[in-house]
Amino acid sequence: MAHTTHTVKRYSGLMDWLTTVDHKKIGVLYLIAGAFFFGIGGIEAILIRIQLIKPQNTFLDAQTFNELITMHGTTMIFLGVMPIIFALMNAIIPLQIGARDVAFPFLNALGFWTFFFGGLLLNLSWLIGSVPDAGWTSYVPLASTTYSTHHGVDFYVLGLQIAGIGTLLGGINFLATIINMRAPGMSFMRMPMFTWASFITSALILFAFPAVTVGLVLLMFDRLFGGNFFEVANGGNPILWQHIFWIFGHPEVYILILPAFGIISDVVSTFSRKRLFGYSSMVFATILIGFLGFMVWAHHMFATGLGPVANALFSIATMLIAVPTGIKIFNWLFTMWGGSIKFTAANLYAVGFIPTFVMGGVTGVMLASAPADFQFHDTYFVVAHFHYVIVGGLVLGLFAGLHYWWPKMFGRVLKEGLGKATFWMFFIGFQLTFFVQHFLGLTGMPRRVFTYLPNQRFDLMNLISTIGAIMMGIGVLMFLWNVLVTSLKPANASNDPWEDGRTLEWTIPSPPPEYNFKQTPLVRGYDAWWKEKMEGNTEMQPAEPVGSIHMPSPSILPFFMGIGLFIAGFGFMFAKDDFNNALLNGLFNNYVVAGVGLLITLTCMFLRSVIDDPGYHIEKEELEDKGVKA
Amino acid sequence: MAAQQAASDQSKRRHKHEGPQKHIVAFIFSIVLTLIAFAAVGSAGEVNTTFIYIILMVMAILQVVIQMAYWMHMKDKGHMLPIVFMFGGAIVALTCIVMAVYWVWWG
Amino acid sequence: MSAPVHADGQWPHEPEKATLEGRNKVLGFWLFLGGEAVLFGTLFATFLALRNSIGDGPAASELFKLPMIAAATIILLASSLTSVFAVQALHQNRVKSMIQWLIATVVLGFAFLGLEIYEFVEYVHEGHTFTTSAFSTAFYTLVGFHGAHVLFGVVWITILIVQVQKKGLNLVTAPKVYVSAIYWHFIDVVWVFIFTVVYLMGKVG
Repeated sequence: MAHTTHTVKRYSGLMDWLTTVDHKKIGVLYLIAGAFFFGIGGIEAILIRIQLIKPQNTFLDAQTFNELITMHGTTMIFLGVMPIIFALMNAIIPLQIGARDVAFPFLNALGFWTFFFGGLLLNLSWLIGSVPDAGWTSYVPLASTTYSTHHGVDFYVLGLQIAGIGTLLGGINFLATIINMRAPGMSFMRMPMFTWASFITSALILFAFPAVTVGLVLLMFDRLFGGNFFEVANGGNPILWQHIFWIFGHPEVYILILPAFGIISDVVSTFSRKRLFGYSSMVFATILIGFLGFMVWAHHMFATGLGPVANALFSIATMLIAVPTGIKIFNWLFTMWGGSIKFTAANLYAVGFIPTFVMGGVTGVMLASAPADFQFHDTYFVVAHFHYVIVGGLVLGLFAGLHYWWPKMFGRVLKEGLGKATFWMFFIGFQLTFFVQHFLGLTGMPRRVFTYLPNQRFDLMNLISTIGAIMMGIGVLMFLWNVLVTSLKPANASNDPWEDGRTLEWTIPSPPPEYNFKQTPLVRGYDAWWKEKMEGNTEMQPAEPVGSIHMPSPSILPFFMGIGLFIAGFGFMFAKDDFNNALLNGLFNNYVVAGVGLLITLTCMFLRSVIDDPGYHIEKEELEDKGVKA
Repeated sequence: MAAQQAASDQSKRRHKHEGPQKHIVAFIFSIVLTLIAFAAVGSAGEVNTTFIYIILMVMAILQVVIQMAYWMHMKDKGHMLPIVFMFGGAIVALTCIVMAVYWVWWG
Repeated sequence: MSAPVHADGQWPHEPEKATLEGRNKVLGFWLFLGGEAVLFGTLFATFLALRNSIGDGPAASELFKLPMIAAATIILLASSLTSVFAVQALHQNRVKSMIQWLIATVVLGFAFLGLEIYEFVEYVHEGHTFTTSAFSTAFYTLVGFHGAHVLFGVVWITILIVQVQKKGLNLVTAPKVYVSAIYWHFIDVVWVFIFTVVYLMGKVG
């Protein structure tokens, strides 16, 4: 391929991380940022549990408690677990499909930085002193200016809108990557389950996030510009917010859990040393769950009085989801059946996931029954249910994925013994925390209330729950310790450190070179690498000769686009405040700050449009020098 | 690589370019459908309101289908995925609209 | 891939899809439009939910003036036609003709925007402001979102015209022009629903 050599500035150190468009580095950035927010959300959880350790505790006041539950939910879902999912998707999907890069490296970086600055904006509310306090669902009229007079909910709407842009871009990027960038022979029905699950998750992001963006815009217009969407006095309708929120919110929980299903499928199959049982039914079940996820939102709203017909329809639709989910559960069990199972730390998390998630699923079916839901509604039974699916499901899945792919991402295997100990600490802590909450709910303890009276049979169970939460906290610290200890070891993981790798990511070095595959591999079947191994091959067949590889240039623009939105967010939020300072008043009240922020972002978009990115090439000789085997 | 090869094979054949006629026809169709819709509104008061709503929606959907097929090239080959994803978006959009009409407007 | 023409010196049949970058761009943009469909669907849902909540403000049937809406509709439909002609010129590598059609599109787009701004100013004079009622808030939000998309579109296409004049029409610029045309048609499609659902149904009552 004839081409002119372009010299591209390649950065090192901090600038390298700020300008990177390499999906593996962006994956690491997502992991660090996600872990940071996960830590904040975790501390919030521990504070909530300390407040509830005994009746009439005065550790926190009611307002702080409301702020903590709001920020715990919002931070964990939007800023904690979703970025960690994106970290794994970034680090692994291009490798699993045999691609050198994602479809849109620049957008990928932009997605990260907008997510990061949105999350930062939301969490700066703690330092500025007015924190969101209307719950993670931010129901109106509680979240309207009538009942929430400070800037808390403004942080919520602006932070989540900015972070939401990043998530949407990420979703589009992964869809395009999986559709267009697969290696020769990697047909859709040969893709590993994690890639499939991420594909469906990305589609759900694409269709669900615009809805919440609109919902947040409506709430923002009501709060900042005097709109009437939810103002009953002027004809607005608060139920509308609930519908829009849950039309997004229900698919969101599938956005969270589907990647975990994918991780579990890959981990269970690898460590059972067997082909995944019922692969095509797994794919079908994933698609079906994705579709049904959009048709059940109103089961969050039984208590608003939808009428018997709607209640019955949404009950049945919700219970239907148990069918494809059941298919998955049995497929995992049948994969393990007769396999030669290795209980590595990753596999312990995966095996622990299965019964825990089943429990969350069963309480889900209980909640789907509208008459029963009137009893369960707003009690700790609901809290127990969704923590069983999100922590017992997704977080265990993420830990499984992190242990499994850590050597691929960082070239070092996490300490197995410590990993197993972490699993037991976290798993037992989790069951202690949330199992008793089912019974707290059935006994009648309402959620979102900052304290309770003694001798209502709540006392002991709350104590147990708090002890469990502290154990989970210790578990997370043990994991961090493991990361720290491991990072001090030499990076000497082999291509296939588990020795049972089945998919393409285990055919290349750990961590992979920036171009991933020296030669694009030829995929000859499902579990492509396993198939080659079974035929006695030690490497994949290449689909092309060794040649120079085209790479995209790094760019600082995504970082500044994120900063621009961050500044604009502050500008809009404080546009009507009186600062007792002529300069600040002049800047904020005339929308100068908001304008400058938007201008920064738009200028960066303009620059991106007019400046062509020729990229650069890694030459054949350079590839040979490294002596890297593809 | 392979795709590039295929593309250049394609360009070696004298490629046929469609003329402007089809698009002008689509434009005339759009105008006619728009006129019918405006005319239907002119008959408000004499005809049942629900009936007019139905006429209006049918005209709008027809017009959108024509424009998507011809102007957005969705009738051309290689547009399976755009159709799938636009259809997916339309289903979710329709879900929102059914929600709003059923529970808020009528409710 | 900045080669001015295709490897064999011929202009490909579908230049926007001749490179992997181009194919990614076109596909990614279609995906984005799928999301935009949900965005506008939610805005339409909001408007439909609140269309009769006029409070003390004017009702839709008193407010809307159909001749102006008809003019705006014809203008936007015509701009869609000029845009599709630009894409035809793009496929045939007729740069000059393509730029002329793009300029026509931009001019029509600005004409539409001018009408819309005039319309909004009129409404405000008649006591139909953003804060009047739930109906007015929903109206300005839905129609304003569409207007903002039109504004973004004309600025974008203008930047592309200048780019094509500077860099020429090649396999880098062709996908950009193609994608902007798809975006422009999508805006037109949304407008078809806006004039139907907001204006015509509003006029019927």
